[in-house]
Amino acid sequence: MSDVDLAVPTPGHTSLFADYQAPAGSYDELCREPQQPRSHWEYVIRSLEALGPQELLRREQEVRRLLRENGVTYNVYSDARGEGRPWALDLLPTLLTSQEWRDIERGLIQRAELFNLILADLYGPQQLIKKGLLPLHLIYSHSGFLRACAGITPPSRRFLFSYAADLARSPDGNMWVLSDRTQTPSGAGYALENRLTLARVFPSLYRDAQVHRLALYFRTLRNSLATLVPQQREPGRTVLLTPGPGNETYFEHAYVAQYLDYTLVQGSDLTLRDGRVWLKTLDGLQPVDVILRRVDDTFCDPLELRKDSLLGTPGLVQATRTNQVAVANPLGVGILENPALMAFLPRLCRELLGQELRLPSVATWWCGGEDERRYVLAHLDRLVIKPVSPYLPRVTQATSDTVFGAQLSAMEREALIARIQAQPHRYVAQEYLPLSTTPTFADGKLVPRPLVLRSFLVARDDAYVVMPGGLARVAPGPDSWDVSNQTGGMSKDIWVLASEPEQAVSLLPSAEQPVALTRSGGEIPSRVADNLFWLGRYTERMESSARVFREMLLRLLDTEVVNHDPYLPGLLSAVTHQAVTYLHLVGQAGNRRLMAKELELLAVILEPTKSGSLRSTLDALLQAGRSVRDRLSDDTARVLNALDQELSPHMRLDQTVESLTRVVSGLASFTGLSVESMSRGQGFRFLEIGRRLERTLHTISLLHTACEMAPGGRGALWEVVLAMTDSLQTYRRRYYTQVDAQAVLDLLLHDESNPRSVGYQLARLQEHVDGLPRQATLPHRSPAQRLVLQSLTALRTTDIEGLSQAVWEEPVYETLDELFAQLGTFLLALSDVLSRTYFSHIEAQQQLMEHQHDSLRHRPYDPLSL
Amino acid sequence: MIPYAIVHTTRYRYSLPVPHCQNEAYLLPRSFERQQCQTSQLQISPAPAVYQERADFFGNRVAYFAIQEPHTVLEVTASSTLMLRPTALPSLQASPAWEDVRQALVHDLGPEKLDARQFVLDSPLISADPAFVEYVAPSFSQGRCLLEAAHDLMQRISSDLTYDPDFTTVATPVRDVLHHRRGVCQDYAQLAIACLRSLGLAARYVSGYLETGPPPSLAHQAGQSESAQLVGVAASHAWVSVYSPGQGWVDFDPTNNLMPTDQHLTLAWGRDYSDVTPLKGVAFGGGTHELDVAVDVRRTARLRFRE
Repeated sequence: MSDVDLAVPTPGHTSLFADYQAPAGSYDELCREPQQPRSHWEYVIRSLEALGPQELLRREQEVRRLLRENGVTYNVYSDARGEGRPWALDLLPTLLTSQEWRDIERGLIQRAELFNLILADLYGPQQLIKKGLLPLHLIYSHSGFLRACAGITPPSRRFLFSYAADLARSPDGNMWVLSDRTQTPSGAGYALENRLTLARVFPSLYRDAQVHRLALYFRTLRNSLATLVPQQREPGRTVLLTPGPGNETYFEHAYVAQYLDYTLVQGSDLTLRDGRVWLKTLDGLQPVDVILRRVDDTFCDPLELRKDSLLGTPGLVQATRTNQVAVANPLGVGILENPALMAFLPRLCRELLGQELRLPSVATWWCGGEDERRYVLAHLDRLVIKPVSPYLPRVTQATSDTVFGAQLSAMEREALIARIQAQPHRYVAQEYLPLSTTPTFADGKLVPRPLVLRSFLVARDDAYVVMPGGLARVAPGPDSWDVSNQTGGMSKDIWVLASEPEQAVSLLPSAEQPVALTRSGGEIPSRVADNLFWLGRYTERMESSARVFREMLLRLLDTEVVNHDPYLPGLLSAVTHQAVTYLHLVGQAGNRRLMAKELELLAVILEPTKSGSLRSTLDALLQAGRSVRDRLSDDTARVLNALDQELSPHMRLDQTVESLTRVVSGLASFTGLSVESMSRGQGFRFLEIGRRLERTLHTISLLHTACEMAPGGRGALWEVVLAMTDSLQTYRRRYYTQVDAQAVLDLLLHDESNPRSVGYQLARLQEHVDGLPRQATLPHRSPAQRLVLQSLTALRTTDIEGLSQAVWEEPVYETLDELFAQLGTFLLALSDVLSRTYFSHIEAQQQLMEHQHDSLRHRPYDPLSL
Repeated sequence: MIPYAIVHTTRYRYSLPVPHCQNEAYLLPRSFERQQCQTSQLQISPAPAVYQERADFFGNRVAYFAIQEPHTVLEVTASSTLMLRPTALPSLQASPAWEDVRQALVHDLGPEKLDARQFVLDSPLISADPAFVEYVAPSFSQGRCLLEAAHDLMQRISSDLTYDPDFTTVATPVRDVLHHRRGVCQDYAQLAIACLRSLGLAARYVSGYLETGPPPSLAHQAGQSESAQLVGVAASHAWVSVYSPGQGWVDFDPTNNLMPTDQHLTLAWGRDYSDVTPLKGVAFGGGTHELDVAVDVRRTARLRFRE
C-alpha cells in the first residue's frame, strides 16, 4: 500500500482534505506529516473523495435522519428540554490497524484482570492495605468503598464483570488510559447504534473496508450473564435495571435490553420476598436471578446503602450477600473509579500479576503522599486537579469537579491550594495530555478534532473479551480539552481494520444452539402496563384533539366562514373543553375577537408549557412512548420519533394546519403498526384499553357540547361533529341526506359496527377487560368487568326515539344528559380500578423513623455521693 | 464481673397497613474484652419471613429481617444478658502526647493502628470543618497527654452544651450542634468525635445503654423501696471512644461528663450513628407512623432476688 497524496483530488471534485491541518504538538490519527496520510486510511479516503462533498453532505443528512428516527438520544441534565436530545454521530469513523489494536486489547485485558484481583482483595483480606501497597485512607475515604459489601463474594469470584476505559493517544503515538469506568460502563449500546447507522449510510465502504464486527461482544455479554444464574435455577431470568427515562443514557438501556432480550426494569419493579428478588408483573411475582445494572451501586439499596435513593430495591445487598441474586457489575466496584488508584497500578500489577503494566495510565499524583503533594503544588499550572471522590451524586454533576490548573485565577488557585492542604488525601493531580486529533466532517470538509476512545470489556470464563472498536468522542472545537457528551461533543464509530474479512456474527441463535420455544416474549412489569395504558390514552387524546383543532383552523382561515358561520362558537366551545384552558373565545362577542385571538389560539396548540395544549399532550405521549421503548417495534418507535418534529413553537397558522394533518396520519400509522406488530399479550391489551377509554370520553364530550349548541338538531354543526370523528363518509354512504342529529347520534353512540361509535369502544373494552389476568378463584365479575358491563347496559337501554322531533323536549335532554353523565362516571371509575388493581404494585416506600440516642440526662448512680 | 439484663422494645404504629418491610437491627450486644454477651435474642412481631444474623464491617452483630404479612404495628424486643468487667480508670497522665499519637496513626502499619486509622477519616455524618479545629484547640495544648486533653474536651462539651431533646434529629449536622450548643447524647458524642478527628486522632461512636438506677444493695441501705427502681426510663445511650496507643480504646461519656466504669453497656461501635443505628427499615405503604421506645437495664442479681 502506498500513501495517498491528499493534495491531488480525484478528477471532478475538489479535495475534502485540501485544508486539513493537524495542529502541531499532538498526534494526528490521519496524517503522519502535513497532507501525508497513514496507509490504513487510504481506502476510506479514496472512497470518500470519490463520493464528493455534495454526496457526503447528503449522507450526513441521512445519518441525522436515521438517528432521529431511531430515537437515539442522550439526555443532558442541565438542559430544561434536554430530555431526548438527538445523539450526534460524525460521518467519518476513526481508524485503527489490527496491530495497534492487538496491543491495546492486551493492555486492557491485563488491566481488567488486575482490577478484578484488587477488588477481591479490598472486599476480602485487604492484604494490599496491610502490606502497605495501598494507603488505607485512599480506599476508606472514597465514597465508592461500600463497607456493606465487604465479605460478599460474587459468583465465580468475578468481582469485575464488565469494564470500560477511556483512552487517549499522546504526541509520541502511545495509548494512555485517561479514566476507568467500572460502575455501570455506558456507551456500548451507542457504539452498536453508531455502527449500524454507518453501515447503512456507507454500505459498500463498510463491507469492503474489512472492519471487525461488534456482535461478538454482545453475544459474550449475554452468555456470560447466563453463567451467573445459580445452577439449579437455569435458564433463569435476567433483567436490566435502569434509573428510568430521566437518565442521560436511558436510550441505551432500552436499546440494550431489547437487543439482548432482557426485561427493562426500574428499582420499584423489583421486590424482595423470602430472601429472593422478584419482578412485579401483571401475572404476579416472577423470580429474578441476574441483574444487569445501570444504576450506580450506592443507589441500589435504600436499606443498606444510600437511604435517600428511590432508584433501588430495599434488601438487594442482603440478597447478593446470600447469593440469591447476581448483580453485574457487583456492588462495590465504584472504588475502582478512584483516580488516585492509577498512581499505584504499576506496583500492584507487579505484586498481583507479576507483570509490568502494559497500558499506562495518564501520569497521576495522589496528594495524600507528601512528596507527591509537594510536586503537585509546585506544578499546578501543568496539571489537571480532581477530587478523589465526586462530592455529589453523579446525577447532578453536569460536567465534573475537574479543574485545569492553568485556567485558574490567582484567587481560585489560592483557594484550591488551601483545600488541598487541608485534606490532601482527597485530591489527585494528573498530567495534561494533549489529545490526538482525528478528521471530523464539518460543513462539507474535514477538520482535525481532539479524540478520546472508549473501549468495552466483558468477562468470559476466567478471562475478558474486548469489543473490537468502541465509542469515540471528539471535542466540539479544535482545542477543547473536555471531551464529554454532556458539553456538546460528538461521537464517532471506531473501525478496527481486519487483515482478513470477518465472519458475520448475529445474536440470533446458531444452528448448534437449540431454540427454546416461548410464547410469552417476556413478562410485563406493572409499571410498563401503566405506561402502555397512558400511551394509549395520550395517542387517542392527541388524535381527537388534532382533528378538532384542524377542523377549526380550516374554518378560521376561511374569512367568509369566520364572519358567517353560526356554529363557530360551538366549535370553539368544544375546543375550550378539549384544551382545558378557557380562552374567552366563547360567548356573544366571540366571533369578533377571533382573529385577534389567533396568537392565543396558536399557543393552545403549540405552547409546550400550557397544560392541555396539543404540544404538551404530544410531549406526554412521547414520554410514555420512551419509557416503554423496549416494548415497541423499531418501526413503531420511528413513527413516534417522527412526531416530535411536528407542532414546533414558531409555526404559522397555515403551517400548523399542515402539521396537524401529519400528526393525524402519523398517529394513524402508530395505531396501525401497534395493531399489526404487537403480539396480543397483556401489553397490547393495556394500550387498547387506554385508547378505547379515551375515545369514549372524547366522543361523549363532543356529543354533549353539540347537543347544547344545536338544540334544533340539524345542520352544519352536526356535519362538523361527523368530520371531527372521521365519520362523515360513513354517514353519507348510509343516509345520502342532510345531516340530522338523530342519525348522527345513532351512528356515533349506538352503532356498534362503526369503529368510531361509543358502542364499538365499549364492546372492545369488554373484550380486553375480560382478558386481563385476575384471581382464578374469583367466581364473580371483577370490578372492572362490572363497570364495563354497566356502561354497555346504560348505552344499549337508552331510548333515543324522541330525538327525531324537530324541537327537542326536556325529557330528551335529560335522557342524553343522564347517559353522558353515567358513562363519564363509569369510565373514570374504570380507569381508577385498573390502576389500583394492576399498576399499584408500585407502592411508595418510606424510611422508618430512627430513634435518636437520647438517654435522658441521668447522672449514672454514683455510690460515693450517697 | 457484673451481670446485667437488658430489654429494649421498639414499636412502630402505622396509620395504614404495611404489606411488606425490610429492616436491619443493631440490637444484639457484641462481646469484647470488657464485656461478654451471654444470651441475646430478638422477638419480632409479626414474625419475619426472613431473619439472618451476621457480623458487619466493624465486627458488630447485625440482624436483617423482612416481614411479608400486612401489619399496622411492628414490635421488636431485644433481650440480652451480659457480664461486664468494671473498668479501672486509666491514668490520664500516662498516655502519650497527642501529637505523637497523630504521627503514629499516619505512619505505623501495625494492625492495631491500621484499624484505628479508619476512625480518623470523615464519616457519613461527621465531616471536617474549621469550626471543630477552633473549638478543640484550648484542650489540646502543645505536648499535652492525649487522655488528659480528651478529658478536658469532654468536660468542656459537657458544660458548653445544653441537653435538649427537641432541638436535634438523627440527621442534624454536627456543625449545627456546635453552633447552637444544644443536642442529645448522640450530638454530644458526635461533636467530641468531630473535634478529635479534626486533630488527626482516632475516635469512634459507641452505641449502648446506661444503667440509671441505684444498685440494689445500696438502695436497700438507703431505705428506698424496691419500686424506686424505675422501669423503662433508661434509654439507649451513646458515647465516644478514643484510641490511645498502649492503652487501647478509652471511653468518654461527654453527656454525663464522666469516664465509664461499670454502668455503660456496649451494643456496637462505628464511625458515627449511621453505622450503628439500632433499628432501621424501609416500609411500603403504611401512611404515617409513630415510634415508641422503652429500655430497661438491670443488674440481674436483683432480678433473681425479686423472683
